[in-house]
Amino acid sequence: MYKKILLAADGSENSYRAAEETLNFIDGNSEVTILNVINTNDSKDDVLHNTPGESINAKRKEKLQSIINFYETNNIPYKVQFEHGTPNETVVKIANSEKHQAVVLGTRGLNGLQEMVLGSVSHKVAKRAEIPVIIVK
Amino acid sequence: MIEKLKREWLAAPGANIMAGIVVALALIPEAIAFSIIAGVDPMVGLYASFLISVIISIVGGRPAMISGATGAIALLIVPLVSEYGLDYLLAATILMGVIQLILGFLKVGKLMKFIPNSVMIGFVNALGIMIFMSQIEHIFGISIDTYVYVIVTLLIVYIVPRFIKKLPAPLIALVVLTAIYIFLGSEVRTVGNLGNIKRSLPSFFIPNVPFNMETLQIILPYSLSMAVVGLVESLLTAKIVDNATDTYSSKNRESRGQGIANFITGFFGGMGGCAMIGQSVINVKSGATTRLSSLTAGVVLIFLIIVLGNWVVQIPMPILAGIVVMVSIGTFDWGSFRYLAKAPRTDAFVMVVTVAVVLFTHNLAIGVVVGVLFSAIFFATKISKVVVTFESLNVRNVVRFQGQIFFASIDTMIDQIEFKEYDKAIELDFSQAHLWDDSAVDAIDTIVRKFEEKGNTVHVSQLNADSRKIVKELSRLNEQHLT
Repeated sequence: MYKKILLAADGSENSYRAAEETLNFIDGNSEVTILNVINTNDSKDDVLHNTPGESINAKRKEKLQSIINFYETNNIPYKVQFEHGTPNETVVKIANSEKHQAVVLGTRGLNGLQEMVLGSVSHKVAKRAEIPVIIVK
Repeated sequence: MIEKLKREWLAAPGANIMAGIVVALALIPEAIAFSIIAGVDPMVGLYASFLISVIISIVGGRPAMISGATGAIALLIVPLVSEYGLDYLLAATILMGVIQLILGFLKVGKLMKFIPNSVMIGFVNALGIMIFMSQIEHIFGISIDTYVYVIVTLLIVYIVPRFIKKLPAPLIALVVLTAIYIFLGSEVRTVGNLGNIKRSLPSFFIPNVPFNMETLQIILPYSLSMAVVGLVESLLTAKIVDNATDTYSSKNRESRGQGIANFITGFFGGMGGCAMIGQSVINVKSGATTRLSSLTAGVVLIFLIIVLGNWVVQIPMPILAGIVVMVSIGTFDWGSFRYLAKAPRTDAFVMVVTVAVVLFTHNLAIGVVVGVLFSAIFFATKISKVVVTFESLNVRNVVRFQGQIFFASIDTMIDQIEFKEYDKAIELDFSQAHLWDDSAVDAIDTIVRKFEEKGNTVHVSQLNADSRKIVKELSRLNEQHLT
């Protein structure tokens, strides 16, 4: 069982499945770090489409709520970490920071063309992370 | 103070210098392309990007934000340049700086919150569309080679970033395709066909315009538009960089800084400019956090032009057109379609009106002003609905008011009251209302008087503290009415 495990989560359905999968690798003494990367490219969208008066940070936290609830109900200690940057580079950077024993992430299941245009985060992380990578399909 | 200077300049110098170099490389094609849009020599935009970057790095309010010659300003000045020439543009740039400086001292940054999202989305969409349209003449109906260069440029700028992250893709397109052009030659126009490149630093000179009222009349409308558009885009960009870095920045200092930068730039032969959304995002993504990145961007840009100027004139225009098309696609807010479907109807309408006004007038400033006016009117209409309800319980007659009572809402409010009662005791209940101005107080006086004319005794109750205060100051009602 891993003591410290990193979950890269964007709040999507896939990242929720990845959260469920972490239970096979941890026990009640482990700690999960839920990492959410705030893509710098999305800053313009965030500012233009932010509801006035509603904080952008609260909105970000809301996206992860289902995953947070999942760990709450399973009594798993967790912490939430937000980072700014490009998703794949930032996940690799945090995974290689020597604070975690493994990294878990979901995959969008792109085909070859989509992968070429959009870039696959899981593929990049699998290639460049120095700790075990668990990709949940 | 010293601590702040250190943090804003010296933190992580390596990463910031690298980011600045990346931005300089990405700035060059844009500065040249925006000069051509404006109808001036490429040097006018290149000098502007160099000077504004360097000056803003010192006097701006938002560390790590990039400013320079922009499409928004270039599009505004097309008629001025074609009718009156470069010197009038430089004079207009100086005046633009003065206006921005004044607005900065008047703390206009705070006014930004009166520009709703709908107008901002309309602004970036109109800008994206206008930038795109400006390239049509450089793409269509010239030659087959032109289409090929544009298409290959677009393929490079959208696909290469997947594999090469360190270098800006537009630069790769520029270098590779210009090299191919120099070796093979093609039937395309080049930068040299449209202007000259001077391999020297900018120098001080006073624009050659007559100093009289006529000149002022010519440049003032342009300077005003440039100042407004420059501030809107700069403060929007500052908000985006704030958001991307989770830090806060002084919007008033940024407004003053933009003013200083444009004022000085005009005296050194540069066109007006403002902050750039795309370049600032590139800067932050490349690891920039400090003012050193903006300084580096400006210095490296002018260094490259002085060293490589002879090759710059050989750049085929369709490559720049392709890069500018990419900029326009990046500027457009693609979330707008979802927004149009989901946002309140009035917001969606304001967004569309803002875009339409800009496309019709070719002036982003007018679009912003009209958009803000429309949203203010919609807002006033929305909150000017006062609901009046009547309640008759035995001898007690209560007229209940709900809503914001002010000049725009009093007519509909009074229309709802029929004044049919005679010789009764009437209570006007304001527990769910707020009186805002003297028109509201006058309206209450009128209602009381009309009831009294028919022999009723009127009692005004439950005014909140603010409303009570203006009633006391302005109303003819006496203590008996109010107790």
